[in-house]
Amino acid sequence: MQTDQATLAADGTRHSGNYPPGDLAIWLFIFAELLAFGVFFLSYAFARANNVELFNQSQLHLNRESGAINALVLITSSYFVVRAVAAIKEGHERLCANWLGVAIALGFVFIVIKVFEFHAKFSAGISLSTNTFYMFYLSLTLFHFMHVILGMIILAAVMIKARSGGYSPENHTGVETGASYWHMVDLVWIILFPLVYVIR
Amino acid sequence: MQFQSQKVAMPYFIAAIGLFVGQILFGLIMGLQYVIGDFLFPAIPFNVARMVHTNLLIVWLLFGFMGAAYYMIPEETETELFSPKLAWLMFWVFLVAGALTILGYLLVPYASLASMTFNDAWPTMGREFLEQPLPTKLGIVVVALVFLFNISMTVLKGRKTSISLVLLMGLWGLAIFFLFSFYNPSNLVLDKYFWWWTVHLWVEGVWELILGSLLAFVLIKVTGVDREIIEKWLYMIIAMTLITGIVGMGHHYFWIGTPEYWQWFGSVFSALEPIPFFMMTIFAFNMVNRRRREHPNKAATLWALGTGTMAFLGAGVWGFLHTLAPVNFYTHGTQITAAHGHMAFYGAYVMVVLTMISYAMPMMRGRVANSGKSQIMEMWAFWLMTVSIVFITLFLTAAGILQVWLQRVSTTPLGFMAAQDQAMLFYWLREITGVVFLIGLVVYILSFFVGGETKESAAQ
Amino acid sequence: MSQAFTKSMARNIFFGGTTFFFLLLVALTFDTMQVLPKRDHRENITPQVASGKHIWEKNDCIGCHTLLGEGAYFAPELGNVYTRRGPEFIKAWIAAQPTKSPGRRQMPQFNLTDQELDDMVAFLKWTSEINTSKWPPNIEG
Repeated sequence: MQTDQATLAADGTRHSGNYPPGDLAIWLFIFAELLAFGVFFLSYAFARANNVELFNQSQLHLNRESGAINALVLITSSYFVVRAVAAIKEGHERLCANWLGVAIALGFVFIVIKVFEFHAKFSAGISLSTNTFYMFYLSLTLFHFMHVILGMIILAAVMIKARSGGYSPENHTGVETGASYWHMVDLVWIILFPLVYVIR
Repeated sequence: MQFQSQKVAMPYFIAAIGLFVGQILFGLIMGLQYVIGDFLFPAIPFNVARMVHTNLLIVWLLFGFMGAAYYMIPEETETELFSPKLAWLMFWVFLVAGALTILGYLLVPYASLASMTFNDAWPTMGREFLEQPLPTKLGIVVVALVFLFNISMTVLKGRKTSISLVLLMGLWGLAIFFLFSFYNPSNLVLDKYFWWWTVHLWVEGVWELILGSLLAFVLIKVTGVDREIIEKWLYMIIAMTLITGIVGMGHHYFWIGTPEYWQWFGSVFSALEPIPFFMMTIFAFNMVNRRRREHPNKAATLWALGTGTMAFLGAGVWGFLHTLAPVNFYTHGTQITAAHGHMAFYGAYVMVVLTMISYAMPMMRGRVANSGKSQIMEMWAFWLMTVSIVFITLFLTAAGILQVWLQRVSTTPLGFMAAQDQAMLFYWLREITGVVFLIGLVVYILSFFVGGETKESAAQ
Repeated sequence: MSQAFTKSMARNIFFGGTTFFFLLLVALTFDTMQVLPKRDHRENITPQVASGKHIWEKNDCIGCHTLLGEGAYFAPELGNVYTRRGPEFIKAWIAAQPTKSPGRRQMPQFNLTDQELDDMVAFLKWTSEINTSKWPPNIEG
């Protein structure tokens, strides 16, 4: 589908005509990633059902505050990514790059908070082999942690290209692609945080 | 055939088919030893027959891959091969080294072979699939490096396509991960852990890049579909393969002394491993349906579709059957594993090499496709071999289920041999089906010698 | 439509995804290496155990047997044979091969010395003590 075939939807908002936004390939990737996380979440539920006592016990030792702050940080950064996409649609390349910069900076805040959290756990001698709960806690959060880093790398690549004028209102698939991936990273944390830190 | 140097693929393909016959014959010997335990004992004990069976498979697939690369790369890069002479030289080196190794297995007791080949100084032998003596292992490295040099130089001087890039990455990965076969610590757990870095990262990693690349090449040729479309499919398939397959290695780390979290990582990621295979099936059928030309080589198209389907069934479905840790707890190291291994290797690697041979051989013999008569015979061979492997897999699965039930699940478990005796019927059926497979293979070879009217290939 | 799914994006996902998951494998391997000493009891790998492993390999035992479930499926699992049969039985069994009973599966005579038999038993004893997460399901292997 080409962008000049943009249509006006019933509510009057302008759709760029390509749905889902961004490159379809990233959606296949996102689908695979969500599947991996999804199976992991199911495994968590399954393992927990077999050992509720241990899971509840260990869960008490997690730092819920840092998890909650991180959830806010990621949601906020997602908001700035949305602003970046909106900006490029209006043709503001610099603004787009700047919003992406803010989103990346928030990603960095997430990383720092997480590193403190990990440091506390590792210093307490907790590892993947401590017990099933900590295995899941560390696997899921580390796996997600790596995704945040990858997401930041993707956003940085998009930002550099935006800054050098690589995108325009007609052609900004790359920005939407990066944004889609970042939202996925955010979404996973929004599920992961309550599941592992809060729900008992 | 557009380039003269592509023809160097021919001896590689002929050697591959020759060794394939050897592999099947030894498979039949082993199959018979399963039911008549002392067959050919002590001339060829089971472990020797198995070594020959599996090593011949690996060597002939490598011959097939190398032949395929020599055929594909000039056409993809639009330039003659860097050095056809080097390719010929390496052909003879590899063939002689392979033949000597097999003869060594058959004529000398394995322990003596090990002593003769410096295994006491640097032990690498006696591990499944990596039984080759040290000189053979070093020879494989040398042949692989010279081959890679030849191919890489050709790519460097010519057009760089995604298909050749993926093939090159697969072949380099093959050489690099083989290096783990030289690491053999006294600690069995470490030994096993890194043994898989060769075995798993080959068959569920870099070999799949080779497989995807070969399949993509043949599909472009026989369907005429736009290269751009085929190449992006290729990238997505191999991306999914490695995304799921690398950590999917965890499914080998359930019960060998490795930490328990591997049961989760291995189960989750290997449960996703069927996805790339399913994409490959869709890919093959989709491209053939969207074909822009009617290529006269119907047999090659059939092999390509067969690869997509059987790789999914063998590697995807049969792999998934026993990959989850709670299931694998009972099935690990039983005939279920054997069933999966047979269909996966045939469906993925045997079939893709035969696809390539089916497409390239007529070209190298100066025609676009073989005569109708010859192709019909080849298709008979396709169905005989493919249906046989399906039934071999089903019989082995049945034997495996019985074995698991009697020996592992039962509250009064039977001993290993007592359980085996109960599965004899299935082993007999497997052996009979194996004979049908051999007939299929004979028909396949005969199809090369059937004449009839053919279209001359346009001289380019 | 060609804009919806680009080859360069597919290629980037391939390279990015592969690097990502390879790094994950390296990280998990690093952790595994830290944990393994507690599970494989490597402090018990004496020169005799190492020699036993060498003899195991030199005679291609894996060509018929499984060891911790890996190998050929023609003959019994040997990872737990030490607990199943005990040291004396293992030595006597290897020394008595082949059984020559007609039609039955045969194990070759490997002509191991008494010293080599002891080494093999030491290796199988060490192997039986590896923490394999309770595998196999029962003593029959």
